[in-house]
Amino acid sequence: MTRTLLLLPLLILLSGCASMLASSTGKLAGDLSSAVLNQDDLQTVQEGAPAYLLLLDGMLAGDPKNEQLLITAARLYGAYASIFVTEPDRARRLTEKARNYAVRAVCLNNETLCRSWQRPYDDFAAALATLKAADAPVLYAFAATWASWIQTHSDDWSALADLPKVEAAMRRVVALDESYDNGGAHLYLGVLNTLRPAALGGKPEEGQTHFRRAIELSQGRNLMAKVQYAEKYARLAFDRKLHDRLLQEVMAADAVQPGLTLINTLAKQQAQKLLASAKDYF
Amino acid sequence: MSLRLLLKIQFAALMLLLFFSNAQALDLKIATIAPDGTTWMQEMRRGASEIVQRTEGRVVFKFYPGGTMGNDKNVLRKIRAGQLQGGAITGGGLAEVYPDNQIYNLPLIFRSYEEMDYVRSKMDTLITQGLEQRGFVSFGLAEGGFAYLMSSRPIRNVDDLKNEKIWMPEGDTISRSMYQALGVSPIPLPLTDVLTGLQTGLITTVGGSPTGAIALQWHTKLKYVTDVPVMYFYGILAVDRKAYLKMSPSDQAVVREVMQGVFDKLNRQIRQDNENARKVLRQQGVEFVQLAPKEMEKLHKAASEAIAQLGAQGVYTSDMFKTLQGHLEHYRKQPAKTPVQH
Repeated sequence: MTRTLLLLPLLILLSGCASMLASSTGKLAGDLSSAVLNQDDLQTVQEGAPAYLLLLDGMLAGDPKNEQLLITAARLYGAYASIFVTEPDRARRLTEKARNYAVRAVCLNNETLCRSWQRPYDDFAAALATLKAADAPVLYAFAATWASWIQTHSDDWSALADLPKVEAAMRRVVALDESYDNGGAHLYLGVLNTLRPAALGGKPEEGQTHFRRAIELSQGRNLMAKVQYAEKYARLAFDRKLHDRLLQEVMAADAVQPGLTLINTLAKQQAQKLLASAKDYF
Repeated sequence: MSLRLLLKIQFAALMLLLFFSNAQALDLKIATIAPDGTTWMQEMRRGASEIVQRTEGRVVFKFYPGGTMGNDKNVLRKIRAGQLQGGAITGGGLAEVYPDNQIYNLPLIFRSYEEMDYVRSKMDTLITQGLEQRGFVSFGLAEGGFAYLMSSRPIRNVDDLKNEKIWMPEGDTISRSMYQALGVSPIPLPLTDVLTGLQTGLITTVGGSPTGAIALQWHTKLKYVTDVPVMYFYGILAVDRKAYLKMSPSDQAVVREVMQGVFDKLNRQIRQDNENARKVLRQQGVEFVQLAPKEMEKLHKAASEAIAQLGAQGVYTSDMFKTLQGHLEHYRKQPAKTPVQH
């Protein structure tokens, strides 16, 4: 097996940031998050996001123990790096920063998890078991930024070796609050279970169940769930009918949905590319 | 002649050429168990697009990754039926076509990568020639690496194996003989079920390469690696010779040059990957267990028995084995070099 076996797809970190910020420091951050998420012009976000990331850095310098602000910063840095940064070194630096913010949030929250995330799998899995429903947002941000980090370090075997931990963390999020972030944890589990074909011990059928649940939980509004379902599952299963149907649904749907407009705009763009390359793949 | 007319003629010629090349295009459908996006697939796809370009569209590779065409056996059957023109498969997968291509897979024949590299430099062409005589064109061997025993409890003595539930790849004659010679009964399972088997405790010991253990996530359940290379394995792109001969000699030369480059690169890359993966396993808390010389002796004795038995079963020819032994003896007689730890 090889080093890019587990290359992750574009990961979705953005949605759900806005609603979690209640404090006065967070009010501005929350409003800005909403503005980002409801944007239908990718270029505006791409060009405007760095200023917003700097603003978050500044706010955190003044309020370093604000958990919600840390979570927002982690997810936005991770999303920005995954979606817009193509230069590998820069993407690695930004996902590193994203994960560091997430780790800080974890460490404010749960000492056991803070100590164990770099330890062997079993220790980490035991720490996850101590988490409660209120921990779902911080755990989700941590796992999602870790996934982005792995994605940008996919030529590093130690990064790949941590994928099972990310999967375990996402499973825990599902157990704690599966509907959090429109079922985003299911979407990650869909991707993680379809990285390897069944012949190599992957669980594509389990992945399919997660994709379907993610679509269901977002009431079909999160178009990225359908795109990932097509790209990861339908291509792996060589099911062109499913692949094309999902992507045509995405193309026909309205991208504008509260909190999902940006991600849906991106999803439509990807759907078009996947439809165009289907002839060569299948 | 006016420029316009010249352009018109050129355009017509181009159209004719395009039509002609489409009519002549040779589609090579290649299946593999390797998932899309892996180094294997990335490199083969890169090679394929270079070939399309350089043969002006006359040779088109179409890949079926991720085991969608089944395992090595199914792929071979589909090649015979003409549904596929080739497969990127493990050396062992071609055993029914050419048994001697398993010669490197015999248990414990190599003690180090240095020995391995020396023997391969002498014998790889024998293997590819043998395959070609039996109807398969290939472009060099790509290392998979050494397999080691990996377990949830430490194996410090050969006898410790008797307390383990050991996985054996379904239908793998070579590992079955080795385990029998060691006096243990392995549990045959398809690769599909290995991780689940480790998670449920159905099996406690597996054989695999460091990269395999991480990529297939076995490392989450394994705590020890017995640091003895028990088996060497490799992958190969085998193309149906009948399909291959449909290309013009100059196109054949392009395919050969490009794909040999791909396999040479894969061969080097995977060595590096395995070395990195060993370090990572250590970081993840996996302990590498060394065996005492007395225990190594026991292992080698069992391996000799297994090899003799496999020879009697016709798994390889004695000529091929003698050639391999000759090279090994020659290498081992050379003045000792500083051993390199892998």
